[in-house]
Amino acid sequence: MTASELAIVRRPGTSRAIRLGGLIRNLLRRPDGFFGLCILVFFSVIALVPDLLVGPLQTPVTGLANDYPRLAPPSLEFPLGTDELRRDMLNLTVHGARVSMVIGLLATVITVFIGAVLGVISGFVGGRTDSTLMRVTDFFLVIPTFVLAIILTSLIRDLVGSATTQILGIRMTLIVIVIVIGITSWASTARIIRSQTMSLKERAFVDRARVIGAGGSHIMSRHILPNVVNLIVANSVLVFAGAVLTETTLSFIGLGDPLQPSWGQILESSREVGAASLGAWWYFVPAGACIVLVVFAFTLLGSALDEMLNPRRRARR
Amino acid sequence: MGSAYLARRLGSAAITILLIVFVNFLLFRAMPGSPERIILRGTPNVTQERLEAARERWGLNDPVFPDQFVGFLTATASGDLGFSFVARGQTVSEVLAQRIWPTIILFGLGEIVAIVVGLALGAYSGWRRGGPLDYVGNGASLILYSTPYFLLGMILLLVFATTLGWFPSFGMLTAGATYDSVWDRLIDFLAHLALPLATVALGLIGAYAIVMRSSIIETSSDDYVTTARGMGLRDGRILRRHALPNAMLPTVTLIAINLGYVVAGAITVEVVFNWPGLGTLTVEALTARDYPVLQGVFLLLSVSVVLANLGADMIYGRLDPRVRT
Repeated sequence: MTASELAIVRRPGTSRAIRLGGLIRNLLRRPDGFFGLCILVFFSVIALVPDLLVGPLQTPVTGLANDYPRLAPPSLEFPLGTDELRRDMLNLTVHGARVSMVIGLLATVITVFIGAVLGVISGFVGGRTDSTLMRVTDFFLVIPTFVLAIILTSLIRDLVGSATTQILGIRMTLIVIVIVIGITSWASTARIIRSQTMSLKERAFVDRARVIGAGGSHIMSRHILPNVVNLIVANSVLVFAGAVLTETTLSFIGLGDPLQPSWGQILESSREVGAASLGAWWYFVPAGACIVLVVFAFTLLGSALDEMLNPRRRARR
Repeated sequence: MGSAYLARRLGSAAITILLIVFVNFLLFRAMPGSPERIILRGTPNVTQERLEAARERWGLNDPVFPDQFVGFLTATASGDLGFSFVARGQTVSEVLAQRIWPTIILFGLGEIVAIVVGLALGAYSGWRRGGPLDYVGNGASLILYSTPYFLLGMILLLVFATTLGWFPSFGMLTAGATYDSVWDRLIDFLAHLALPLATVALGLIGAYAIVMRSSIIETSSDDYVTTARGMGLRDGRILRRHALPNAMLPTVTLIAINLGYVVAGAITVEVVFNWPGLGTLTVEALTARDYPVLQGVFLLLSVSVVLANLGADMIYGRLDPRVRT
């Protein structure tokens, strides 16, 4: 264990910048961490400035003029070919990065927030609260949450109606997906945070805080939470990979938004057109490759972080 | 097996199933449009009296909890899942019964292939850790694990059906075909089954190989393996007789826990290949907003997963005497 890693575990008060710097340096030394970070930076840049790279998103209306070919294979002019509406696939795939990554990010925030809050409360308070919360957690761990997500998404959409409100530039239809992913996938985070909280609760600094008269909510927010931040970070990366996969799958079965196409939505359109049967590989292979790359990179990054930050995994090495 | 262990497992499964029914009940209440309007959907000349009669007839004037919930629970327990919105006159149970076998065949076979191949691959690459097969196998497992099932399916479809033309691309049997004998029919069925089955198996192999690999790595540093080596046993024998049986234990639970995720994959693979099972049924019901059928699918799949987990716990209890308390 290096000195900087020690600081991460033991001294929550140390300046955040130093911890983050040390963490990234350690991460870059590992091949899996390095690869994961590279992919992360690459796709983040694409997601941040898609307009600069390929121009504004092409819609069926603003697509290319009529003399351009439909479903054309890749050429010099269109490196990734065109779709059945004469849109440039490169344009769609690059813009899809933004939609997929933003949905993944927002869903991760909600998932990890619910999981962390319930995990800390469950582990710290214990007793009946704990057993009730863990019963609900087990329920969400066991059942096929994806099927529940399908029902919830269509139900909430029917209830909300087709509002055109946008939050952070994301249409309401996609916000519903974000919320549903959050509601259905927090269970494993809650489990992890709970077990860490239970072991922290027995440590001397919690007793000291209690002796000088600190209340439960103060101890949870000022003493327990800073000590589970590492776990939360490592877990978030894995949750992100899962969220991107869930969003892709939901979009693929027809719950995406054609007006803001994510990678999953592109795959869905390609299925409707029958791209695989027509041999139009350029329609779905690039978007598919992006999904696999992002999920693969984040899985690598997540397990690298987990190994570096999770005290249990580290002790085993 | 200790009866306390058994009772605890059974009780926990029963509570989970009760929760599933409860969630289903909540979803029914949350459906857009009031229940009596949904019941009378498509009926001409709906008067206030008829609405009121329907409310009385279906018990909607009773308190929501416990009366309506108990009614819902009893109905669900007796297999009454309501009527499909779209297939008028058909109960949800009938709709589900028509579509369940294709899914059982596809996923039953897929699981078997994946368990055999995945566990063997994982065991071998973990045993020869750092070897060439480990390097390739582990990388391939991780990539397969990151690939959505349906994407895998689309690529197989593109390569083996469209480009090479080896297999048919959709359905379970060739549409409108007549067969000379049962064998011709079976061969046509198998040709249609090949690609979806390969997709399911490939999708699962990654996860199983990863689990088995880490399990065997953990086992291979255990004392009894060292002892077996010290006794001068051959390498293959140590793996098969000493390390493997113990390394299999955690995979039993993990395979069962993974089932919930596998179900999501099930739905999408069927969609890619137009396989007429529960997955395509889900998407059809979703497009038509046929909520009773969707909830039926949810209930059926959730209860199956819970029961499979219960089964895994039983098997685990048999295999590992330490948990039988």
